[in-house]
Amino acid sequence: MNYGNIFKYWRTVLVVAEMSIRTQFSDGFVLFAIVFQPMIIAILALFMLREKGSDYAVFVVVGSGLTGLWSSLLFVSGNSINVERWTGTLESLVGMPTPFDVIVFGKNLANVFQSLLSMIVSYALAAYLFGYPLSLTQPILFFLTLLLSMFAFICFGLTIAPLFVMYRSVQQWQNAMEFPVYIMCGFLFPIALLPNWTTPLSYLLPPYWAALALHGTSTAMMPFDQLLFSWSMMILFSIVDLIIASQLFKIMLYKARVDATLDVD
Amino acid sequence: MNTINKNLYLFWQGTMLSYRALFAWLRPVTYMASKILMPLAQMFFFVFLGSYASNGKNVDFYVIGNAIQITSVSGIFGVTMSVGGDRDAGTLPYLFGTPSNRFIIFFGRAFMHIIDGAIGVVIALTWGVLLMGLDLSHTNLSALGLTILVTTFSTCGLGLLMGCLSLLTANVMFVNNFVYFSLLIFSGANVEVTALPAWMQFVSNILPLTRGIAASRALAAGASFSDISPLLVSEMGIGLIYGLLGYFLFSWFETQAKQKGTLETV
Repeated sequence: MNYGNIFKYWRTVLVVAEMSIRTQFSDGFVLFAIVFQPMIIAILALFMLREKGSDYAVFVVVGSGLTGLWSSLLFVSGNSINVERWTGTLESLVGMPTPFDVIVFGKNLANVFQSLLSMIVSYALAAYLFGYPLSLTQPILFFLTLLLSMFAFICFGLTIAPLFVMYRSVQQWQNAMEFPVYIMCGFLFPIALLPNWTTPLSYLLPPYWAALALHGTSTAMMPFDQLLFSWSMMILFSIVDLIIASQLFKIMLYKARVDATLDVD
Repeated sequence: MNTINKNLYLFWQGTMLSYRALFAWLRPVTYMASKILMPLAQMFFFVFLGSYASNGKNVDFYVIGNAIQITSVSGIFGVTMSVGGDRDAGTLPYLFGTPSNRFIIFFGRAFMHIIDGAIGVVIALTWGVLLMGLDLSHTNLSALGLTILVTTFSTCGLGLLMGCLSLLTANVMFVNNFVYFSLLIFSGANVEVTALPAWMQFVSNILPLTRGIAASRALAAGASFSDISPLLVSEMGIGLIYGLLGYFLFSWFETQAKQKGTLETV
């Protein structure tokens, strides 16, 4: 993957993102994953955590939004290449002069962007249905963290999509990957509740650092040095993900052209 | 007698073939990921969340609620896909073209999922005992087994109704997921039904699972079979009502499709 392409083809990235959003908003499954599932999880969590007081409402809003972000990343971004194969447009996309990874980047940008809807829905639910007063403790840092988290999620999605195309054995675990990440990344409860041996695994997941920083800037006065560390981890993982993704895209396109198995499902 | 044998054969063939058709394309790994690991991970998520909410005081409440709720993976997704699968696979015209007993065909779609769903709950409860410290030492295990079977049966009744809806809508996965996740709220798996607003309690009381979960919790707390038998009878009744509603919808769909030529238009 040539990272300069993302800037060189910025117009393509935006058009692909717009097209993806338009297409996906007519897909009931996508709507469920980014709007209704986080909303149901938010309702459940608000009921379950109500004895902890209204301070936890923002924690639930951010946490349930993150569940929507991860589910969308796993199921929509993860299948962003496969879906082109299923609809018969993959060969055209690979054959056109625009680099294929730019197109997948645009699709992931759309997925992650529209997943923010889940946070907005959860916010509206907690504020208007449950009547909780909601405010962010560090709003500017929260929005900066949100931007960085989006980038980290997009980069993570870029590694998943080609993996799911090339290794069906990995994609077979897709359904089982959703809730473990909710658990290990501390979206709705601290990872301190988990056995100690799981902690290093949490540290290896970019969504964990996103959740830590987003919760820290929304519900607590997270010390700036800790926030910087979380940001650094997200940037580090994004770079690693981009390097891995570039190799995976190379292998995938090489295999597709040499084995001629681009459209073989 | 000959008719009974024929119908029993039809029931068995229908139930086995629809179940195999649903899962034959899956490899064992995919089956394990979708039917065992995903529900268990979901259970652990809500148990940890519940444990966090109650400061670790009420873990059994969440383990039992979520373990029993796992039955809806088979009851909702499995049964719906078995009924709706006939349309997707293009076998619906052949099915409606046969003179076979529709009642037997229809209810046969759910049979294997009742067994499958009950096994899923047993696996979840076993993990609950081994990993979450669920205490079943005072539990009447045979009554719990019956409760699991009855609850799975009633959830499959709702699944049969949802399966018929899948013949009428293209957005079946949306409807399925919505019902499945809504059960997490309304069934009392994670929140006491009495803690819900009045309209939500009303919905809880007309859904399957609610009484099954309540009965399982009572059994775990040491209740006897006679204590929970009224709950089981109403759970069974609710499942039958949903199943019969599904059957009437299925019959209506067949009549409408034949009269208007709309068999595969959705």
